[in-house]
Amino acid sequence: MISKVFSRLTNSNFYKGVQKNVRRFEQSALDLLPDATFNKNKTVGLIGDIGRDISSAENRLILGVSALMSQPFIDAKNKDVDEKTRKVSVCRTIAKIVAGTLTGYAIRKGCISAIKNWSQLPAKGIPRYKSLFTPKGARSTNSEAFKQYQNAMGTVVALVVMLFTNFAIDAPLTKFLTNLLVKQTGGDK
Amino acid sequence: MTDFIKIMQKMSSTVADNWSGFKVHMLKNYGENPGKMLVHTGTLGWILSSLAQVGAVVFNDKISPEQKSFLIPQEIADAAINILSFYVITNSLKNFGAKLVSTGKLRTKRIRNFLEKNDLMSKVGKLDFDVSKQPNFSPIADSYKSFKNGVDVVTSTVGSVISCNILTPILRNEYASKRQKQTIAKMQQHQLNNIQHPRGISIDDYQKLASMKFSSSGNSALRI
Repeated sequence: MISKVFSRLTNSNFYKGVQKNVRRFEQSALDLLPDATFNKNKTVGLIGDIGRDISSAENRLILGVSALMSQPFIDAKNKDVDEKTRKVSVCRTIAKIVAGTLTGYAIRKGCISAIKNWSQLPAKGIPRYKSLFTPKGARSTNSEAFKQYQNAMGTVVALVVMLFTNFAIDAPLTKFLTNLLVKQTGGDK
Repeated sequence: MTDFIKIMQKMSSTVADNWSGFKVHMLKNYGENPGKMLVHTGTLGWILSSLAQVGAVVFNDKISPEQKSFLIPQEIADAAINILSFYVITNSLKNFGAKLVSTGKLRTKRIRNFLEKNDLMSKVGKLDFDVSKQPNFSPIADSYKSFKNGVDVVTSTVGSVISCNILTPILRNEYASKRQKQTIAKMQQHQLNNIQHPRGISIDDYQKLASMKFSSSGNSALRI
């Protein structure tokens, strides 16, 4: 049923038209940009390391730090609301970012490391639960692809865990930090 | 009893098959593509947290059904802004970054040497051209993949920073302030109706409403 709807959509003239225009736009953007070659081995190595080592946990940390550098200022410059609302909104935004980043990073990191522990290759002396997350046919746990799989699986598990911690940790921590920040800045008056 | 055992065995083998299939699917889809993983899990994260926000309103007994009928669509609209802006911006940037590498526009010294050696420089930057599909590609496959994965992760991270930290807060503020103004206008209209046709309220409440009518600047209701 879904595949029928999907194939009907992708075969429609509208979809083909959109696709054609997107391709034209992409080609124009590619033509606009000059060619670039990374000559230094150090730079190429760094880009490779980023692809290998940045998991969703580090990504969340980068998002959190950059959020702290942008979102409170966007809220502080929101002239559509009065000063009191603006002040509380800035405090709440900071609290939300700090609480969300701390829990998001810790839970993702914890789940990825748990999956690394529980996705070992089945062997003599390895308890069964330690290969609970090992995919069928995996031959090595040291390959690049397998490490990325562990990151992806850890992230999915973390998202399920965060469904609960959103209520259990994030919400009360955000409330506590908001009240603290509002108090520190002289209350909401 | 034996039927029950058979059913249970069938069920457990179905669960085991699905679980095994899921793991293989994850390995195939994301093992070679960390940027795609970041976009997909990021979108899934937005969907789940939006569901939690909507759920918090739906299952909150302290919110009246009238308020819920207003708040639930509001939360859904908010969620749609978050999810769509994240997916569209992050995925587009990631795909564009991937195209830069696959068409040879963005390359390492090794990839350039490969292109020059195989007389492919004239095709660089054409959408139909893909470095990884050329003959004799295998000697540079590993370094190409590592470079492409790195670019994928960088572009998807930049995309998520732009969508989550710049565009979404601006769109959300715009939307929230419009919503706030509409709510205040509705509340004031309601209070005005009450003053003009007071029914079933005490004299104290009536005096309070009357004083609000003549002194409200509109801003007092903006506190969140």
